Amino acid sequence: MQPKGFERALGVGELLSGIARETLAAELGRALGRPISVTTPSGETLLGEPAEPGETVRRVPLRYDLEVVGYLQASACDEGRLRALGGILELFFLASARYFLASELHQEVVQADFHELAHKHQLLAHSEARYKALAAELEARVQEQVGLIEHTQRQLYQAEKMASVGQLAAGVAHEINNPLGFIRSNLNTARSYVETLETFGRTLKTQGVPQASAWVEADLDFVLDDFRALLAESLAGAERVARIVADLKGFSAVDQAGEASVDLNEQLRSVGDIAATQFRGRAELVLDLGPLPAVRCQPGQLNQVFLNLMLNAIQAMEGRGQIRIATDVRDHQIRVRIADTGRGIPEDILPRIFEPFFTTREVGQGTGLGLTVSRDIVVAHGGRIEVESRVGAGTTFTVWLPIGPD
Amino acid sequence: MAECDEVSRKITIKLVYYGPALSGKTTNLMRLHDLLAPDLKGQIMALETHDDRTLFFDLLPLGFRTPSDWLIKFKLYTVPGQVVHDATRKAVLSRADGVVFVADSQRSQGLNNSESFQNLEDNARRVGLAFERLPLVVQFNKRDLPDIVSEEQMRARWGATPWPLTFACALSGPGVAQTFRSLADAVYPHLDERFGLGARHGVGPDAFVSAVMGEAANAA
Ligand SMILES: Nc1nc2c(ncn2[C@@H]2O[C@H](COP(=O)(O)OP(=O)(O)OP(=O)(O)O)[C@@H](O)[C@H]2O)c(=O)[nH]1
Ligand SMILES: [Mg+2]
Repeated sequence: MQPKGFERALGVGELLSGIARETLAAELGRALGRPISVTTPSGETLLGEPAEPGETVRRVPLRYDLEVVGYLQASACDEGRLRALGGILELFFLASARYFLASELHQEVVQADFHELAHKHQLLAHSEARYKALAAELEARVQEQVGLIEHTQRQLYQAEKMASVGQLAAGVAHEINNPLGFIRSNLNTARSYVETLETFGRTLKTQGVPQASAWVEADLDFVLDDFRALLAESLAGAERVARIVADLKGFSAVDQAGEASVDLNEQLRSVGDIAATQFRGRAELVLDLGPLPAVRCQPGQLNQVFLNLMLNAIQAMEGRGQIRIATDVRDHQIRVRIADTGRGIPEDILPRIFEPFFTTREVGQGTGLGLTVSRDIVVAHGGRIEVESRVGAGTTFTVWLPIGPD
Repeated sequence: MAECDEVSRKITIKLVYYGPALSGKTTNLMRLHDLLAPDLKGQIMALETHDDRTLFFDLLPLGFRTPSDWLIKFKLYTVPGQVVHDATRKAVLSRADGVVFVADSQRSQGLNNSESFQNLEDNARRVGLAFERLPLVVQFNKRDLPDIVSEEQMRARWGATPWPLTFACALSGPGVAQTFRSLADAVYPHLDERFGLGARHGVGPDAFVSAVMGEAANAA
C-alpha cells in the first residue's frame, strides 16, 4: 500500500523545489572553488553540469529521512569542504521537507474537512428530499381521507333523506288513499245511477211518453241531485290528490342541486302540507307568514331542513298540540321559526342535539343526522340555526338566512 | 499500517504519540531523540505554531539495518493535542502501527485525559484502525509535579485494561525510554507476523527492541 499525502517519500528533486537551482549551484561552486553537481542515486544530474567523462570525481552522499537521496560531487576538490557543503544541503532538504509536509498535511486536512462538509451536505439534501417526499405523500393521504370523508358524508346525508322520505311515504299514502276511497265509492254509486237512467230510458222507448209516476218511481230527482253532489265531491277529492302530488313534486327538488330564486313562504306552505300528512290529528299547523323578499338558495336543500324541523316537531308531541311556522325579516335577515308545543328538550342534552349521530329516538327511527345535516345546509347558505326549549312547554327552532345583495 | 518496500528493501513503521493538549507528547519525542542511539537517527522535525504548541505534528525518524540488509525505519509522530485540530489528529493517526497515549498525571487533568482517550478511540475507528488490536501503551507523564493522581489510584483505575501502563517525567527523562520500549515490545509480534522479522530478516523480539533503542546487544 502506497502511503498517501504527507507521508510519501520525498526525492531530491522535490527537496530542491522552491530553491533557485542555478544560483544554488553557482554559490556552492564558488564556496568550493570548483564547479559542483548534484545527482540522484541513479546518477541523473539535477544541479550543475555533469562531470566530464574521465575526470576524477569526489562525491559525498546526501541524506534525508535516514536514507541517501542523492550525491554532491565535484572534481579535484577538498573533501572536507565538500562534506561541509553536503551538510548544508541536507539542512536545506530538512527546511524544504518541513514546508512540504506541512502544506501536504494542510491540504489533506482541508480536503477531509471539505469531504465531510460535502457528505453532510449530501445527507442534508437527502433528508430534505425525503422530507419533501414525505410531505407530498402526507398531502396525498390527507386528500384521500378528505375524499373518503366527503363520500361517507354524502352517503349519510342520502341515508338521512331516505329515512325521512320513508317516514313521509306512509303519511302521504294515507292522505291519498282517503280521497281515492270515496272517489271510488262515488264512482260505484254513479255507475248504479247510470243503470237507473238506462232503465228509465228503455221504459221511455217502449211505452212512449212515461207518466210522471215512473220518474217518481225511479226516484230520479234524488238520483240527479246525488249524482251532482257526488261528482262535486269526487272532483274535490281529485283536486286534493293533485295538490298532494304537486307538493310532493316540489319536494322532489331535494335532489336538484341547482340554485333558484324563491319565495320561502311558498316553500314552507308546500312543506307544511306534506308534513301535515304526518299529523294524523295530533297537531294543528298554524302558518304566520310575513312578507319575505325572494332569496337565491338551494330550494331542495332548504325544504329538507324545514321538513326535518317539522317532523321533529311532530315527534315531540305528546298529546294534541300546535305547530306554528312564522316568518319575518329581522336585522336584514330572514327569520323562520318553527315552534311546537311538545315535550321540550332537557337542558343537559340541548347543546348536543346538532352533534352527528346524536339521537334520543329508538333505533331505526332516524339516523341521528337530521339536525346535523340541517345545520350544515343552513351554514352552507351563510345562515345559522338556533334552538330554544323548555321541558313541558315546547321547542322553537329558528333559522336565520341572509338576504342576498339584490 | 507499516509498509514494506521490496525494491528499496525497507520496512517503515509508524508510531504515534497521542494525548490531550500540553500533556508532554512533544517533550517525549525530544527526550527520545536525546536518549536513543540507534544506527540511524534523524533530526526532530517540529511543525509547531507559536508558544510551542504543536500545529501539525512532530516527527522523529529512527532506523537500523537488519542482518538481511533491510532498512527498518521508525517514524515517530506526535499529534496536536488541542481539541480544534481534530482533522489533523485524524490524518496523523491514520495507518499507525502503535500508539503511546500520553496522559497528564495532574489531578486537574482527569477530564481532559478521558476526553482525549475517547477521541483516540473514535478517530481510530474513523481511520479504519481496529482499536482492540492496536498496540497501545498508556503513559502517565509529569510525575514530578506535586498535585498528581497516585500510582496506586491510576493502577486501580486502569488495571483492568489490556494496555501496559508507564509513569514518566518527560521533562527530565525517567520513564520515557521505558514507555517506548513497551510500545516496541507490543508492536513486534504484529510486524513479525506480517513481514517475518524473525524468520526472514533474522531479527528476534529482543534484538528488535535493542536495535531501535540503540543498546549494546545489537541486531547484528
Ligand atoms: N513538570 C513537567 N512538565 C512537563 C513534563 N512534560 C512536559 N512538560 C511541560 O508541559 C508543557 C507542554 O509540553 P509539550 O510536550 O509541548 O506538550 P504537547 O503534548 O506536545 O502539547 P500539544 O502540542 O499542544 O498537544 C511544556 O511546558 C513542557 O515543558 C513533565 O514531565 N513534567
Ligand atoms: Mg506538541
